[in-house]
Amino acid sequence: MRPADLRTELEPVWCSGCGDFGVLKGLTQALTDLEVAPEKLAVISGIGCSSRLAGYVKAYAFNSIHGRALPIATGLKLSRPEMTTVVVGGDGDGFSIGLGHIPHAVRRDTDLTYAVLDNGIYGLTKGQASPTTERDTKRGRGMAGAEDAPLDPVLLVLSSGCGFVARSHAGHLPHLRQMLREAIQYPGFAFVHVLAGCVTYQPKGYADGLLEHSFPVPETHDPTNLDQAMNLARDPRFALGLIYKRPRD
Amino acid sequence: MSTTAPGVTTHTPQTAATGRSLVIAVAGSGGDGVALLGDLLLSIAAHQGLYGMLVQSYGPQIRGGESAVVLRLSETEVAYEGDQTDLLVCFRTSDLKRFRGSMHLHEQSVLVLDSGDEGELPEWLGTTSREIMRYPFATRAAGVEVAGEPKNMMALALIAKALGWAPELAERALEERFAHRPHLLSADVKAYRAAWVQLQVPAMTRLTGHGLPLEVETGNEAVAHGALAAGLRFFAGYPITPSSEVMETLLDELPAAGGTVVQAEDEIAALGMVVGASFGGVPSMTATSGPGLSLMTEMMGLASMAEIPAVIVDCQRAGPATGMPSRTEQSDLFHAVYGGHGDFPRAVLGVFDVVHAHTLMYKAFALAEDYQLPVLVLSDAYVAQRRQIRGATPARSTVPRRWRWTSDDSPARFKLKGDQVVTPFRVPGTPGGTYLAAGIEHTEDGTPTSDTNMHQRMNERRFRKLPAIALDTADWVRTFGAADAPRGIIAWGSMYGLLREWVLAHPEYRVFLPEILLPFPLDALAAWRKGLSETVTLELSHQGQFHRYLSSLTDMSGVRSIARSGGLPMSAPELATLLSATLSSALSPTSAAAAEKEAS
Repeated sequence: MRPADLRTELEPVWCSGCGDFGVLKGLTQALTDLEVAPEKLAVISGIGCSSRLAGYVKAYAFNSIHGRALPIATGLKLSRPEMTTVVVGGDGDGFSIGLGHIPHAVRRDTDLTYAVLDNGIYGLTKGQASPTTERDTKRGRGMAGAEDAPLDPVLLVLSSGCGFVARSHAGHLPHLRQMLREAIQYPGFAFVHVLAGCVTYQPKGYADGLLEHSFPVPETHDPTNLDQAMNLARDPRFALGLIYKRPRD
Repeated sequence: MSTTAPGVTTHTPQTAATGRSLVIAVAGSGGDGVALLGDLLLSIAAHQGLYGMLVQSYGPQIRGGESAVVLRLSETEVAYEGDQTDLLVCFRTSDLKRFRGSMHLHEQSVLVLDSGDEGELPEWLGTTSREIMRYPFATRAAGVEVAGEPKNMMALALIAKALGWAPELAERALEERFAHRPHLLSADVKAYRAAWVQLQVPAMTRLTGHGLPLEVETGNEAVAHGALAAGLRFFAGYPITPSSEVMETLLDELPAAGGTVVQAEDEIAALGMVVGASFGGVPSMTATSGPGLSLMTEMMGLASMAEIPAVIVDCQRAGPATGMPSRTEQSDLFHAVYGGHGDFPRAVLGVFDVVHAHTLMYKAFALAEDYQLPVLVLSDAYVAQRRQIRGATPARSTVPRRWRWTSDDSPARFKLKGDQVVTPFRVPGTPGGTYLAAGIEHTEDGTPTSDTNMHQRMNERRFRKLPAIALDTADWVRTFGAADAPRGIIAWGSMYGLLREWVLAHPEYRVFLPEILLPFPLDALAAWRKGLSETVTLELSHQGQFHRYLSSLTDMSGVRSIARSGGLPMSAPELATLLSATLSSALSPTSAAAAEKEAS
């Protein structure tokens, strides 16, 4: 099986150069690595640019409503445990309208992989501030909320008790593939924070800036140590790699 | 599913001749054990093959505070708690004020009060010509009530004696209930026996059960059990009065049947999980009350758009926002029928009582699974929270089964072929069946589209489900009373219990109760309306939602609306008053016949 075999015939609606292409590629690669057959794969999403990804993967896919992918995926996984279930979405879908579901999905620890493409903006609705928009961003209309402090998704899920937390970058494909693969293999709720730009509503060079602002998780880091993981997450720069992986009982 | 020609109302009224019945009320405060006493009396009655039902009342708080039970025992099946209290035991007269409307004395009522209670009886309670009986329920020291013998056990002895029950019946019920708490059991049995010997009470009408034990069940338990028998395998819910016992019952029973129960973080997630599980091919349900249904509304549209079966039970309570959570109303009808953005088909059913809940839940799952859409089942606090004695439920050898896709079927999940109503459902795990389910408008194969023509055609196909359901459900109605009775009452849901008895005492009336509210069985209604000279709709909704809804479907000119806010269920005396105020003239059966003759 090749990654292309996991693609539907649909052409993505994304802008040329969008980070979502990277997530789509990294995901189909990781799933191919793990030899997940299409009929054993479920891809569940909410609403937003990145949520359109569900339609591009050959799977039992569900492009649902804004912010509600996690409950739907939970119901599916509990009723069909044999399905490899991946949830994809953006920062608005996950950390704004859908935020209330995240800590509870973490608490239930249902075996889901939740990959959030975080471009720090509402792309589909044309450039409003999201919960992860950098503070005091000023870029034209619709930026109410940009004066508020952004959420830190990694700290948020760590403090909720998430057993698997990793971060990657949409442009860093081999790394993203590896993080997604490990997340899918993790037998509980796994969270992957994917940094990305938005070619239309973030300034030129935004995605590269994120990468420049990142550093690889140091080799000395013990991902089974929650204190170390929290410290790594508190670093104002972005640690890329496996941040936390709780050993299973 | 049965298919009946529209317009044929086939149901012969199966109203049992009224057997003898008695209404017993007990009022007290939290800690008096009033609720337990009511349960014990009902289960002892059921054990003897007596029927009955019990409703519980609370003060403004749900936990603690005043508590009362009204219990009706009967030789035939009843779904109405009666309106004349034959025996009232009141531990504290000051508690009565919370229960206005729940109890009414008559000429021969037996009234039992505490010997040390000098409080006044409220005027609304009415009076009895019998002497008030007094017993030392409370233990007092220096005029202040202190902990003493359990009052409810004294009252149990008193009531059991008045009913002419053998003393060991109550002892057996206590042993069954408290076998795991031997200390409590022996204290209760001791108090019960002492009271049995000491207290004297006049004998009441002797009720004779048929001797075969019957079941006691709440409306919420009946909904849960009906769903289980219909093949339910996934439930997600969020606690809310008055529906929580649906989830609690399923927590006890669904896992053993191989299913899953999840308490979700909110109602949005609850229906989301149900939609997800049903996307997985598993019959799924949630239960909630009005506030929860509001939160579920967007997800309901998704289920309809993505053509995923889901059963949603709404135990209606009074008012918007918090309203009166433990009180009943029929005011979620508009929300159930119309709620949501955009156009989408759904079916809406209404529960009559505990017995009916069993068959209705089966029907709800049959519609959801057959037509791949959300099905709402409207219960209410009056049905949900009552305990009712019932006979055996229908034995079922099959459960509704979704039409499953195989590789021989069309490659398009949402095929727009001819007049096809539904297409085979693709169960995850089936090779070759992958597809995109979507809340976004889509083409036949699930591809997102904003093509207006496609939207029109998809709407037409999705809405084709409604006339198809209407054909299947044309006879999902219950009618009572003589076919030529001149006065008609159209009502729904929990009005059933009252109206079933109403026609026996008032032969000039007949009653029409739909089991399905959307699509409404209009042909059956039209056939039933023939020959009526006066008709009313009857409902617990300030806006008269049912009357307005029917007016949007059919010509209701001349049909008067009797509608009031909920809270207390409708009683027979209140209905008599409302009917006489609403209908123009007193109409005797003979003058009705004359009117009809004139009309023809």
